[in-house]
Amino acid sequence: MYIPRRIYKKIFLSAMLLPSIVVASIFLAVPAALTLAISLTGLDYRFTWTWIGLRNYERLFRDPAFQLIVRATLIYVAGTLAFNTGVGLLIALITTHIRKSLGSFIRALWLLPRVLPSVVWAVLMMWIFSPMPTGFLNTVIKSLGGAPIPWTFKYYWPFLFIVNGFIGSSLSAIIFSSAIESIPPDYIIAAKVDGASSFTIIRKIVLPMIKWHIAFFVAYNTLSLLASFEYILLTLDGGPGYYSTEVMILHAYHLAFGQYMVAMNYGYAASIVTILFIIGLILSIIYWRIFRLKRLMLEARLE
Amino acid sequence: MAKIKIATILLYIVAGVLATLPAVPLALLISLAFSEHPVYIHGFTLKNFDFLKTGKLFADNPTYSALYPNIYLTALNTFLLAIGNALLVVLISSTAAYIISRYNFRGRVVLLSSFLIMHGVPASVLLIALYYMLKTMGLLNTLLGVILVKMAVDLPLGVWVLKGFYDSIPWDIEISALVDGTSRFGVFSRIMLPLVKPGIFAIGLFSFLSGWGEYIFVYTFIHTSTNWTFSMLIRSLFSEMGGINLALVASLSLIYLIPVIILFVIGEKYLVRLTIGGVKG
Repeated sequence: MYIPRRIYKKIFLSAMLLPSIVVASIFLAVPAALTLAISLTGLDYRFTWTWIGLRNYERLFRDPAFQLIVRATLIYVAGTLAFNTGVGLLIALITTHIRKSLGSFIRALWLLPRVLPSVVWAVLMMWIFSPMPTGFLNTVIKSLGGAPIPWTFKYYWPFLFIVNGFIGSSLSAIIFSSAIESIPPDYIIAAKVDGASSFTIIRKIVLPMIKWHIAFFVAYNTLSLLASFEYILLTLDGGPGYYSTEVMILHAYHLAFGQYMVAMNYGYAASIVTILFIIGLILSIIYWRIFRLKRLMLEARLE
Repeated sequence: MAKIKIATILLYIVAGVLATLPAVPLALLISLAFSEHPVYIHGFTLKNFDFLKTGKLFADNPTYSALYPNIYLTALNTFLLAIGNALLVVLISSTAAYIISRYNFRGRVVLLSSFLIMHGVPASVLLIALYYMLKTMGLLNTLLGVILVKMAVDLPLGVWVLKGFYDSIPWDIEISALVDGTSRFGVFSRIMLPLVKPGIFAIGLFSFLSGWGEYIFVYTFIHTSTNWTFSMLIRSLFSEMGGINLALVASLSLIYLIPVIILFVIGEKYLVRLTIGGVKG
């Protein structure tokens, strides 16, 4: 049977393209819209739709826990971001100033925590920093004659910064070091000839030249940290105590899928998610304008 | 000259510390997995791997044993999730990315930017709606449901990365093949696909590892322990038995890690390229 070329082309295009459009619509676009819709309902364990307008949002802003979860979110995002950027910068600066093969080997090692299944990483960190006498660091301290330290009870934020930071720093290290390696060597040689110290070179040449990459990372990482809770869920799960590390997205998760009495509150949980969604959207638009995120993103992709 | 030397030595000391830090947890895991003591690192034994014989955890304690699924079933589930995710992402993204790279059609820019935005939205914000949808479709508590959701979430990255690979291949080969009378599909499958093999390998590897390590979707959508993957089993074992037999958790984690380490060593170069597009915090 002869198929006209124009029609054949149309069939070909649709057959190749449609699966991706269907999948992305059903499992990504529809759920996004559905989340907004659910936030306007009282959907709970009975799974019945009752439209209640903005009542979930009113309830949220009156909830005494709201202040706590916003505060936890700010601490979590700011702290992890500082760790990721700082450590990533340190790794990038060190690995670009030593032998090249050794430098890329160290960066590859830092990818390891990111590649490990999140559960294994979380279990390891929980054991190393366990407040019990059986925790790894505490066994080391005890064998040296010291008293066990209640790591995750007392230093829960630094603990979470470390758990998350080892994942995030590998990304920033790769972005920053590829940026540093693309700085024309003439600049640095010229500065060295003029007698500038390494510290001055880093401060006056390297940092200003990679500032857009740092800005890109900070922007991108803020967005992903706002909605990330996997490692908190796997380690401290909002504790110790009352909501001390309960970030907004984790609170939404607990409201919907938690094991306490408050769970299966899908409508209420969706209102928190929607607020995060809106914050994310506003931030993206600002970033897009200020940092011209699109251009930077394409640039970073090339590596 | 002495000053420079000290600076260089310092540099290499810091580099040494940096190289050790991410490797320490893994070394500790291995030591604990072979430890004679159930909670401390002490001695060397293979007894923590006894479960490999029958697949049963706590084979000598029926009460404990009944709580956990056979680990070979868990391994199969984990593998199915990983390979299902990898195959579907590769199949769907390699075809879509080719069209987006090579053809002009209405809505091309919209489609491309939608994939970029979707890639930027973390899956965690979609969980509530996805739960409701899977429940409605009858896919809750099934591995298929998790595979479909996982594959959709990993798809936008695949499309973007593979589009980049197709973009980097010159047009001449395709045009001459078309002139020679090869069909459009023939050009795609016989000429283009082999040329973007590295990209397909990278995306396949990334999606496999991403499915293999998935936790949140399994934890949220799967309730029956016979449908568990390793991530659920290890998490559950750690919270219930972590204080009693941590060495078992470590040995099971080590088995879970074997494919990850092998694939990481083989494909580290590819993963570095993809990390830029990764979504983990």
